[in-house]
This record gives sequence, structure tokens and C-alpha cells, in this order.
Amino acid sequence: MDKILRIDMGAEGGPKATTVPTGEYSGLGGRALTSAIVSKEIPPACHPLSAENKLIIAPGLLSGTTSAMSGRISVGSKSPLTGGIKESNAGGQPSQVLARLGYAAIVLEGKPKGDDIYKIFINKDGITITPDNSLKMLGNYSVVEKMKAEHGHKIACISVGQAGEMRLLAASIAFTDTELRPTRHAGRGGTGAVMGSKGVKIIVLDDTGTTMRQPKDPNKFKEANKKWIAGLQSHGVTGQALPTYGTNVLTNIINEAGGYPTYNFKEGRFAGAVKISGEVEADLETKRGGLATHGCHRGCVIRCSGIYNDKDGHYLTKQPEYETVWAHGGECGIDDMDTIAMLDFLEDDIGLDTIETGVTIGVTMEAGLLKFGDGEGAINLVREIGKGSPLGRIIGSGAAVTGKVFGVERVPVVKGQALPAYDPRAVQGIGVTYATSPMGADHTAGYAVATNILGVGGTVDPLKPGGQVQLSRNLQIATAFIDSMGMCIFTAFAILDQPETFQALLDLVNACHGLEMTAADTVEYGKRVLKMERDFNARAGFTKEQDRLPSFFRSQPVGPHNVTFEVNDEELDQVFNW
Amino acid sequence: MKNHDNPHEEETPSGVPSSNSFGFTGNASVNLIISGKQSMLSGFQELLQAGFVLICRVGVSIKSLLCDQFGLNPQFVEDRINTIFLDGKPVDNIDTTTVMDGATIALSGAMPGLVGATLRRKSPLASFRQTISSSSTPLKGSVAKGVVRIKIFNILMDELGPLFLGRGLFLSSDALRSFLQKQPTEFWDGCAKILVNNAPEYPPAFREKILAALKIEDAWVHLIVHGES
Repeated sequence: MDKILRIDMGAEGGPKATTVPTGEYSGLGGRALTSAIVSKEIPPACHPLSAENKLIIAPGLLSGTTSAMSGRISVGSKSPLTGGIKESNAGGQPSQVLARLGYAAIVLEGKPKGDDIYKIFINKDGITITPDNSLKMLGNYSVVEKMKAEHGHKIACISVGQAGEMRLLAASIAFTDTELRPTRHAGRGGTGAVMGSKGVKIIVLDDTGTTMRQPKDPNKFKEANKKWIAGLQSHGVTGQALPTYGTNVLTNIINEAGGYPTYNFKEGRFAGAVKISGEVEADLETKRGGLATHGCHRGCVIRCSGIYNDKDGHYLTKQPEYETVWAHGGECGIDDMDTIAMLDFLEDDIGLDTIETGVTIGVTMEAGLLKFGDGEGAINLVREIGKGSPLGRIIGSGAAVTGKVFGVERVPVVKGQALPAYDPRAVQGIGVTYATSPMGADHTAGYAVATNILGVGGTVDPLKPGGQVQLSRNLQIATAFIDSMGMCIFTAFAILDQPETFQALLDLVNACHGLEMTAADTVEYGKRVLKMERDFNARAGFTKEQDRLPSFFRSQPVGPHNVTFEVNDEELDQVFNW
Repeated sequence: MKNHDNPHEEETPSGVPSSNSFGFTGNASVNLIISGKQSMLSGFQELLQAGFVLICRVGVSIKSLLCDQFGLNPQFVEDRINTIFLDGKPVDNIDTTTVMDGATIALSGAMPGLVGATLRRKSPLASFRQTISSSSTPLKGSVAKGVVRIKIFNILMDELGPLFLGRGLFLSSDALRSFLQKQPTEFWDGCAKILVNNAPEYPPAFREKILAALKIEDAWVHLIVHGES
């Protein structure tokens, strides 16, 4: 992981690959690396689909080692959806494979002059970039199948579907899972459109002949990894709830709390929630011969994913996650798991962010294009995106654009990005993070982390009003650190409650890189990342006026608690005032 | 409609207030006892999530309800029931939060996600949801008979489901009929013995007999399910 692969897609005579040392970016991984390159190298005012923008794909600092849970990969660019900096991350195999090939990042630069689309093949012997127009407008599943036929099954793939090729704002980038299916997505922010604008359809990685990355201190690393795994497996969330039910276990409790956005954020509870809960989903998966407990990458010990089979017992999609189930469930009023699973499959195949797409469908329902609850209509709309019809291109451009086109007032977006599955009127603290994250509305921007990190900068009384701003700040700082390690954020629950598990994570990082990082250092690391990101946004023209929720969250109370968002603008402006 | 053969008549006295949000006054029109394989119990999890009604003493703390009346071990409550909602509001202090007649209590383990962690009892992130948190209500000494709806979610379904199903719970006939109508053959194959209003029914007529008994509109059913190993 001491080199960066730069590919100039607009080079004279065709795309040109150059491998350079990490240089000034040494010591950075995942989100820290993508945001550093975006911040330093991309003109903030550039058009996101222009040759000036870059797409950075970076494994975390621990990826490629034997460390459990280290398989997240970050994608960075200027976002076509928000117009600001974007880091979107995903699970799957490519992070580990890319790290074992020795790359800290792949940077796609420039823009090809013609209409050809390219595939990039990377193994230990080098890089091959070839035009392959037979791949044009294929879905992610088909293009990966073609790569399997060409390169065998010991590969990992990074690809875009039709949405990326059409440069739609909701386009995702797909990463293959352990079954070599394109089910893990860097969904948020339209990074798939940037990859499409570079003319790259797929990157195929083959780590045959490579070995695991070796830590600087193997004994300490091994010991820390043992404690890390033990901590994760002994915790009620990471050791039991997530493996048993997956992330959709949240449906029942968020709905019970009245924080489950329903009918395009009109209500806070969905009567059909119990039919699409994680408990029901896991039961269905087991009965149909799928899997309710499954890892998205090798080395995962939480295994919160699964395999969702159709009524006849055939593979339909991976286990739809909570946010995906909500975006098509409560948001659109659909209470049928099979319909939601089909939407998940189609969006993975076409290459779409499931949150953005689900919310956008909800907005079209609000506009009267479909009725809330019309599952078949929702499926047809998503198929329209894949076909590239005018209506499909509008829907594929996300909730903000679609809301404008259809004259909808209640459009739940921040910085142009759709809100995820938690109503900020019921859980106001997450509204602070939605409003102020440099990424736009993002539920993963400030995650649950160790209490000793939460306490940095002053102790917050959890039961005292007014703690949201400070908490959101500390959570965003700590999450920026976790995202840079390549660690799955679900590890956060174990380190929230178990100081020894947090220490094990620090020991892993230190043993791997020969460092002596402390908890306070992780805070500085996270702050450094956030400062770069906010600086980029400021240069791109963002002001505090973009750090706001849509006004309807203040004016339209949501039931059953009849609450509005009450954190005022002055408080929001204090989040990054550290 | 009142069933005079109801063996639980003494447990469902008119002491239950007649006006609660469920429209349940303590009388069941149908008594249903199902015995079968232990594995059959998991089939009832949908009902546990949707909620069932129990008669109990109200005007007591949540902890008293869970431990003194439901018989749960205080350590189990502390360690496993990490998330509790009273009428949709997350609860922090179960010693000082009072359960009133007609309340809905939802029980869950510790949950993932920022919001999942936020909703936990005494969460370090509790300020995130301060506007919807359940506030402590001093006990006023007005303990009386009443009804509560209980919902059980996620990992607690396996741990608490058999207990509540075995002791008996009340459901609307509509909810139970709708649930039983969609049960597959395997569910009915797992049933060994069924009593409808104390009268035994025999396979393969289980399904038809029960559904026929549940045809009463707007009625309540007292359901007991025993799992046999």
C-alpha cells in the first residue's frame, strides 16, 4: 500500500496508467485519502462530470491484512448530486484485493474523447486498459458475469450499471461480494456518474500470487486482532442482533419511536412496518433456503448480510438493508418484502443508490404520479431508469431534481442528497448531522463510537437538553477516523460499550503501521479529514445556508409525537466551531 | 359476546376499565389452547411484534410490571431488555416511569445504528431524542387493574415469547384470524393438540375449526400456546 495507481483516461493515444509512490499522502487510507486527494487536486468549482474531476477508490489503512472487519472501501470525488466533496464507502471484496495488490488508491483522471467504454484489469503483473463496447448499457450482474467468463472466479469487480453510463445523479458504484455478485454499493452522491463520465465500465482485480499485508509488529497485531474479534463477538449488537436479523432489525424500533418516515416524511409510523421488519425478513430468508447470516467480505465476523431468495427458492438479491427496506417500504407505503427485494435487485443491477431512488419514488408518489403503496408501479419506474427513458432519467437524477420537475414542496434533501431512514423531527440529534455533514444528508456521517471519544472536548450529559450539537460534532470526528481505517462502521457498537475493544482497534492500527496512536490522536485525525472536506465545500461555494434541513421539518409536525425540528440555526453553525 | 365457559373469567373481572384505547374490557369470546412442537412457537413471532394485550395491575413502575407481575429476573431486564418504549417514547428510567391503563410497552434488545444506540435506555446519546423521551412520572399510589399492550421485538422474541404465549395473552379475533389464515401446512403439522373453548379438535380439521371459531367480529381471543420438546 505504498503506491497510487493513476489512470489518465484522456491521455493522448488512449488511457494511460502510471504508478506513483504515495508521497505526501502516506499514512492516509480510506476516506482520509480520498478526501485529501479531492481537496488538493480537484478544482472545487469544476463540473463534476468534467475532465477536471477525479474519482478516487481507496481501501482503508487496515484493508488487506488479517484484521477482522477491515474490508470497507472508500470512493471520493466532487459529487454530481451535491456539488460538494463526496466520500461514499462500501463493503465487498475489492478493498482487500486492491490492498493486497499494494495500491493505496486508484485515481481515475481526465476524460476519454470518444464514446468507447473501457475495462481495466489489474493483477500483480500490471494494468491492462482496453475498450470493450460489448459492455455498453449492461447491468452490473451481466457485466460481472462476462468478466467471470473471461477471467475466472478468483477476481473482484468494481463496476457501474446503466445509470452510471448515463451519468445519472443517483448512480452508484458496485463492488462484488464473496459470491462475486455486484451487491455492495458506494451508493451516495452519484459517484457512479463520475466513473461513467470517465468512460470506465468495470475494474477487474485479481490478487492471485499475492499475500496478506504484513503488519510491522506481527505478534502485537495478532494479539490485538484476537481481542478485537472477541469484543465484537461478545457484544449484544455485533454478536447477536446484527448476525441474526441484519440491519433491518431497526424497522420495528424506529417505527415504534415514531421516527420511521412514512409516505414521503408525512407521518412517523407505518402500519405495514411489521410485515417488512428484519425479524420477518430473516424468517423468510431462512424458510426459502437463503441465508439470514452472511458476511459481505471475507474477514467479516459480524455477518449482518444475507441471501434473499424468491418464492421458488431462487436467488433474488442480497439481504436488503434497513435503509433500503425503508426507502421503498415506509417512504413509499409498500409493505411487501418481495416487492422491496425486487426493487433492491433492480437498483443493484442498474447501479443506483437505493436510498436516493426510494426517496425519489416517494416524491413521485407525493406528486401523484403513482399512489403510495403501488409496488408494481415502483418497479416499473425503476425499470424506466434502466431503459433511459426521459421519465427514467428524471427519476434517476434523484429526489431534488424530481421534486422540482413535478412541483413537490416536501422534498427531503440536504445539499441535494436524500435523507435516510430516520426522521430528524423525532430524533433531532441525527438532524444536526444530516444538516451539517459535508456529505449532505448522511446517517453514517456521525456514528455511535466509543464513549471516551464522545467525551473528548467536554463531557455531555446525555439526559440534558442541548447536547446534540456537541455530540454530533464528536460523532462526525470519530466516524471520519473509522472510515479512514477501512473498518465497517458496525464495529462502532462494540467499541461504544467496551473500552477494551476500542483499545484493540487502536492496537491494530499501531501494530500494523508501527505507530503509537492514542484516542486523542484519532480525534485529531478525524478533525483533519473534516477540515479538508469543509474547506473543499467552502471553495466550491457552500456557505452555512447549505447546513440546513428543508423548512418543512420546522413547520410540519410529525406524528405520533407531533414534533418539529427544534435545533436552531445558530446552534447548527456551532457544530464545526471547535 | 360473553363466553360463560371461559376458564379465565375470574382473571378478567369487570375491574378492568371499560374505556381503554384497545376497546378491551377483559372478556374473551374465544379461548384457544394450542400445544405442539417447541419449534412451532417461533411461528408466532409476527404476533409478538404486532403486540398482544394483558390484564395486569397498572399505576406501577415498568420495572415492577416486568419483574413483579411478569416474573422476569431483574438481571435479565437489566442485561437484555436494553430498549423500552412506553407509548412510543423511549424510556430511560424503568424505576420511575409509570405504566397507566391502556399503555403500550415495547421491549427490545440493544440495537445497531446511531439511532438504535440513541434509543437505548440511558444511552450516552439520549440527548439526540430528548423531545420524544418518556419522562419519569412519580407513582401516585393509584394501583388498579387495567390492560396493557405488549410488543416484543428481535432477540427478545425467542427469550420472552414462550413465556407470554405459555401463560396466555389476548388478541383481537381479526388479528389472530388474519395471522392463522396465512400459516403454511408446516405450521399446522406442528400442532399436536388444540382446544377451542375447551373442546378438543383433531387434525386435519385444526385450521377450519379454529378459523370458524374466530369468525366473530370485533371479539377478543384468549390464546395459550404450549411448546413441547
